[in-house]
Amino acid sequence: MTFHFTPVWFIAIPLLLAFLAPLWVRWRVLMPVLFSAQFALFALALSWLPTVRIAPVLETIVIAPPLGIHLHLDTVALLFVTLFSFAGAVVSGFIWLGNSAPHLRDRPAFILILLLIAGSNGMVLTGDIFNLYVFIEIVGVSAYALAALRRDKTALEGGLKYLIVGSVAAIFILFAIVLLYLQTGQLNIAALARAFADIPAQMQLLIGLLMLIGLGIKAELFPFNFWVPDIYRGSDSEITALYSGVLVKAFLFVLFHLTFILLADPTVARNWLMALGAITMIVAELVALRQQDLRRMLAYSSLGQVGLITLALAFASEMTTAGALFHVINHTLIKLLLFLLAALMLRQFASLKLADLQGLSRTMPIAAGLFVLAALAVLGLPPLSGFVSKLWILKGFSAAQTFWPIALILIAALIEAGYYFRWIRTFYAPTSTSTRIQSDGERILNYAPLLLIAGLLIVLGVMPFLLEDWLTQAAQALLGREALLNAVLG
Amino acid sequence: MLNFLDTPAVLHSIYLIGSLILFFIGLYGLLAKRHLLKIFVSIEIMELAVYLILIAIATTSGETAPILSDGLTAFTGMSDPIPQALTLTAIVIGVAVTALGTSMAIQYHRLTGKVSVTEMTELKD
Repeated sequence: MTFHFTPVWFIAIPLLLAFLAPLWVRWRVLMPVLFSAQFALFALALSWLPTVRIAPVLETIVIAPPLGIHLHLDTVALLFVTLFSFAGAVVSGFIWLGNSAPHLRDRPAFILILLLIAGSNGMVLTGDIFNLYVFIEIVGVSAYALAALRRDKTALEGGLKYLIVGSVAAIFILFAIVLLYLQTGQLNIAALARAFADIPAQMQLLIGLLMLIGLGIKAELFPFNFWVPDIYRGSDSEITALYSGVLVKAFLFVLFHLTFILLADPTVARNWLMALGAITMIVAELVALRQQDLRRMLAYSSLGQVGLITLALAFASEMTTAGALFHVINHTLIKLLLFLLAALMLRQFASLKLADLQGLSRTMPIAAGLFVLAALAVLGLPPLSGFVSKLWILKGFSAAQTFWPIALILIAALIEAGYYFRWIRTFYAPTSTSTRIQSDGERILNYAPLLLIAGLLIVLGVMPFLLEDWLTQAAQALLGREALLNAVLG
Repeated sequence: MLNFLDTPAVLHSIYLIGSLILFFIGLYGLLAKRHLLKIFVSIEIMELAVYLILIAIATTSGETAPILSDGLTAFTGMSDPIPQALTLTAIVIGVAVTALGTSMAIQYHRLTGKVSVTEMTELKD
């Protein structure tokens, strides 16, 4: 019997495991299976790289497009799938190895994380716009449930807020999809792209606006991201790491995938999206300056980076796109590291207020050191990988003779330096002896996943050429509208 | 006298206007009401309006279900089945989300006794 590998596995394996899990409650190896599935997915994604590098894989389900549903695995989709499964593996590894709270070590959390990964993979892979909506809702429901998993006041409040905002966003996306279908009679994204130019201009604008509102809320862009810090503050930091590392990235991919494929000339939307990204970046960085809670600070910092990625992706030149994709990887790694550190600190200090974390470096020297490393990577200092991705983005802008984004990105980095160093100074400040809490020993097992990420940040910073070919190819795949349309529709 | 109401163009605009009114009623409720359950109801109304637009515009009166039976042998005068399938899927998703939301709201009420979003200030600094 030969196994036929198809992209469906990236969605089917986690989905099946998640739905079958309740049937196997008594099965003793269930938890190890749920846990190791993430690693299996990551290995599977990496093993696909050589195949996909040669030609994108198109998996048709029953009927050929444009009538049927198909999955499209090209280099950029594989990049995101690999990143998501890596993030899933690291977070479940962290929960499994360290002594996280019991509600996170239980079955529901692992099942919901699997569903989240399945939905995100689906959003990236699918070539059908209604399918996209279904995956958005799968991701949404698992994210709402994960936010409220702790079931105390703060977690439920965060979960409820997330659910309300998320379902409104989903309605706007659905509205746009309905209008697209009524105008063109197509659901296949490639077929829609061919027909999109024939839609009346006002309708195009309306559809674009509805999509932008829906996806903008989900991808946490400026006027629509008022809710983000509350959710990040309310849910567990382990889960927040997934929101910032996986969810937002999946929605950013969808936003730009649709922009680049539906619009024959992406420069129409370029200035608007770039402005949105720039405002998101600057506003978030400025607000982050005066945050007193570590989770809120990290949430705003994450928004700032999302703005930067949007700014670079919207410019739609190959160099900035490759840089932005690299920054997506870096930002996921950095925010995983920072939020997991926040989880460790919360366990130790029971509060993440600036004042309560004074002198943290005495009790948690490794955590403080890793925080410094991650902060330097966010700022983009060599030899860390954040430096290389920011450099690529800046080089892309300067090659196109566009200088205002460069100035804004550098200003944003300066503001970032301001608040990250404020936190670092507090961590290394002398402790007042009264607030000192007895350490339960720095278990190295807690830090294993974090050290892995830190190692990756350094390796990618020193040797960016490891990813360079893949990223360039991914940027071409993301921008290559005609190639994709021809591949799908023939 | 009122036969002109049956022409597809007029029917579709009536459906469209009605659905849009529903949509804005939902939007108003979402923005103006503070009770958690009322917010869920408003979200549901907005969703419903979107389903109605899809179903109403995609079908014209007089079309039959696309099933070959009862002497029907050819696909003529049949309605497009895709919007109906999509709407069914979307309804199921909507129910799941609302059920999750309601259960969370109930649990929140049991814990804190609050029902209004303006009282949800635990997460602010």
